[in-house]
Amino acid sequence: MEQILANGVYLGAQYAMIALGLTLIFALMNVLNFAHGQMYVLGGFVTYTFYGQLGFPFVAGLVMSCVTLFILGALIERFLFAPVIRRSSRDESTMLLAAGLAFFFDAVILLLFGEKQRGVPKIVNGVFNWDFRLIMPYDRILICVLAILSIVSFILFMQYSKTGRALRALAQDRTAAQLMGVNVDRYSMIGFALGAMLAGLVGGLLVTITGVNLGMGGPTSIKAFMMVMIGGAGVISGAIAGGIILGFLEAIGLAVLSQYGDITYLMIFVSLMIFLAIRPQGLMGKPWG
Amino acid sequence: MLKLTSLQWIGLAAFFLGVFVIVPMIIAASGRTDLFFTLTSVGLLAIASAGVWLTFYIGRINIGQGAFALLGAYVSAILVTKAGMSFWLSLPIAGLFAAFVAVLIGLPILRLRGVYFAMITLVLTQVFTLTALALPITNGAKGITSIPLPGELSILGITLIPDFSTLENPRQAFYFTTAVLMFLTYAALYRIVNSRLGHLCRSMQQNEELASSIGVNISYIRILIFAISSFFGGIGGAMFGSIAQSVYPSSFQVADSVNFMLNCFLGGLGYVFGPMLGTLVLYFGWDLLFELGKYQMLVYSSLLIILMLFLPNGLLSLRLPKKGGSGK
Amino acid sequence: MKRRVVLKSAVAAVALSAFAAGGAWAENPVLKIGFVGVTSGPAAAWGISNQRSMETRAAWINETGGYTIGDTTYDIEIVSFDDQKDPKRAIAGMEKMAQEGIHYVVGPNVDDGAAAVRPVAEANGIMYFPYAFPKELYTAPASNAVLGMVANYQSGPAIYKYLMENKGVKTVAFIAANESDPLSQRDGGVAAAKELGLEVVSDNVTYQVDTTDFTPVLTPVLRTRPDLLVLSGVSPANAPQLIRSARELGYQGLISTETAQDAQVLQEGAGDLANGFISVGGASTPELASDAMREFVKRYTDMFGEYNDESNTKVYALEYILETLKANPAAIDDVNAFQATMDGFEAPNPYMVGDAKLRYVGSTSFGQKRQVAVPLVVNVYQDGAFETLFVAEVD
Repeated sequence: MEQILANGVYLGAQYAMIALGLTLIFALMNVLNFAHGQMYVLGGFVTYTFYGQLGFPFVAGLVMSCVTLFILGALIERFLFAPVIRRSSRDESTMLLAAGLAFFFDAVILLLFGEKQRGVPKIVNGVFNWDFRLIMPYDRILICVLAILSIVSFILFMQYSKTGRALRALAQDRTAAQLMGVNVDRYSMIGFALGAMLAGLVGGLLVTITGVNLGMGGPTSIKAFMMVMIGGAGVISGAIAGGIILGFLEAIGLAVLSQYGDITYLMIFVSLMIFLAIRPQGLMGKPWG
Repeated sequence: MLKLTSLQWIGLAAFFLGVFVIVPMIIAASGRTDLFFTLTSVGLLAIASAGVWLTFYIGRINIGQGAFALLGAYVSAILVTKAGMSFWLSLPIAGLFAAFVAVLIGLPILRLRGVYFAMITLVLTQVFTLTALALPITNGAKGITSIPLPGELSILGITLIPDFSTLENPRQAFYFTTAVLMFLTYAALYRIVNSRLGHLCRSMQQNEELASSIGVNISYIRILIFAISSFFGGIGGAMFGSIAQSVYPSSFQVADSVNFMLNCFLGGLGYVFGPMLGTLVLYFGWDLLFELGKYQMLVYSSLLIILMLFLPNGLLSLRLPKKGGSGK
Repeated sequence: MKRRVVLKSAVAAVALSAFAAGGAWAENPVLKIGFVGVTSGPAAAWGISNQRSMETRAAWINETGGYTIGDTTYDIEIVSFDDQKDPKRAIAGMEKMAQEGIHYVVGPNVDDGAAAVRPVAEANGIMYFPYAFPKELYTAPASNAVLGMVANYQSGPAIYKYLMENKGVKTVAFIAANESDPLSQRDGGVAAAKELGLEVVSDNVTYQVDTTDFTPVLTPVLRTRPDLLVLSGVSPANAPQLIRSARELGYQGLISTETAQDAQVLQEGAGDLANGFISVGGASTPELASDAMREFVKRYTDMFGEYNDESNTKVYALEYILETLKANPAAIDDVNAFQATMDGFEAPNPYMVGDAKLRYVGSTSFGQKRQVAVPLVVNVYQDGAFETLFVAEVD
């Protein structure tokens, strides 16, 4: 039981971080970013390069992941999404752009970092073992704490900083925010960059545990979509709730349903569909996203 | 039958001439017989994409067509291998079964809109893949293999379609079959769009509440459209199963569902023939870049991004927009 | 595309005439060998190690003057097609090979692709060498597929038997990804283990390939306390994480798999925790590798920057095709002649020390010789490299 809870918290924290970035971008620009998973992988590879290959300290690797993805996100918004949204007659057209970007990142990652699974040296050795009732390696505990800290500081940032307030205003009502004197273009760019940065940060954190390979992008995006749906699209607290719920569903489902083998994920997917059919806007979302 | 302008008749005639006479002649002259399969693929994917386009028409982003294509492939494969049914009978059954399942699933999920509907259909594709892996009737992970080629179809002793396995080139037969199916699909699509139903769909696309308030039975139309859409998916999937003579849980997956959607976007959501053109361009785009080796994916995705940047409303937005879209 | 071809042939012509002037090389005709497999996306590692092995070997052959079959010396050209792990694309790829007049193709890498290309290959007279295990691909009436490696239902029993006899293994647990290939391999492994008299304590736990935390997946399996944990059909990306999680959960027993792995990946992903991990590889270990194998590894590394241990097995398919053609030059555009030659074919194995032979096997498993005899080398990982545990043969 303790083990299931601990697994749930650990999974939930990392999932919530992935979902946060996605939902932020969605809230600001109504863009479903198919390339989110690839951004996460890219963040992992940056940390791998700096920490694993070049021998910089782990924190420096993380910072590099954040900076790289922040800049990349800003450029992508400025030169790709913003013009397409301006010219397109329907919002959904950005989906093709996002999917194109996902393919593009996959290709770049393959050319730059190769096809192999990559890993970095452990940051902390040892395993916490409480009488075999709860087993958790120390590096996992550390990453989990770091993830929770990042989430908390992100919430504080959104709540109290000037940028955060502007972003929230933008998410709530674009036109109203513009009328109130918020520089919509600038803050859209910052918001997108922040979302990308979050993806890069979690990629950098997780590379120490799971390693990284170019195939992780697509499935990560899909998982992030699910979390966002559970919580409600475009709502920060919803993304966190969605991440934690999916983390616990996975931890509990795998423990309880293990003897039935192939059906754990099927059950998760089906219950998600039933849940959404009953409550179409997720837990906390605005109706009709 | 719909009244067509003379220009449209010419377009239709050009289509038939091109697909049934000119293309086979070119292939015969150049010896590029591999084009038969490539074009068959394009045709079948375009049929499934047509369904996705139709759900766009009622304002729903459908990323679940892979699920119905997989369903169609399995229904046909099971009927042919286990019940010994003729492929030609299993093909419409596969489509109808997909439509039936779409009604059941559509009842709850069609209430969702926007990204919620998009994402739930995405999950649907996963659900179907996992179900196919878990069920005994689909033969689980091992898939269904060694499916016989389509047999003879005859009515009152007159052979309408010969047994494919006796043909010298079954690829060509598949090509013609697909071309006919694709024509029927797009004729149906055109008919729907230019009918009262199409008019109602457009009003729903604009505003469902408003449409409902003026007395449109929106839930009925939603289900009907989703069922037709999935019917197309089922047909496309069943044909593919028959060509590959095998079906696996991974025959249609999330990537396929996403591609069906991209085909529609690329061609243009405002045009009936958008998905056909989109499929053609996306599929051949990849094939033409074959020479580039390891840079294939890089160039392909870059072109996609650039296309989107300059033609965000689809390829067909290049020409002067005409309501509903027409001609080829 | 046309222009590229023209350009290419122009460059080739210039290059060739330069060589001809030097008198070092004659102008060889080109023999094309195909590859249809996955070289992009999540499973890229599988196909890329195939493709690079073939390109390395081809470049090596061409550099040393070409390959002589009958009276003609050929330059070898590898034509690759990326099927994106999509069976529909794989068919298109095989059609393309037929169009190019190619009769010998390596790939596809997965079950669904291998099954889907069968009609095309048989209709167009193409022999293909898949890395997929379903028996119906190789059993009559199927005729044109040749298994390019040792199947898990062949290597599994050998490994289990060895571990039963030498390590006292009595109970075994299986875990597999929830995908066609791994699940099929798990079922094969379970059947083999039961036949040998092992007690299978857990065989129904699966995981999604995109799992980032294997602790919840492994916990119920390890609770059954198996002596041996088999990772059925595990991908090189998942293997280190599974090993690491199992060890961190306190598992002390043995871990093995029947697929090829890469030592570098294991070291980065699991470090010392991977010590003792048993997998199947080719003739790469220092005790077995011949000079040719070492040169191959060196050339591969020079060409692509980094070697992949999976290529130890994947180097063989091209070698088999060429050697068989050499044994019967008539087979160059006639697969019936190729098939007739397969039965009695035998040639020395250049990549292994000793008198190992290249020959076709598979009579026991498929009722016909439709498998290459890759040495069944069972490796154990130790501190960043593989060591040979034992070597066996498949019949």
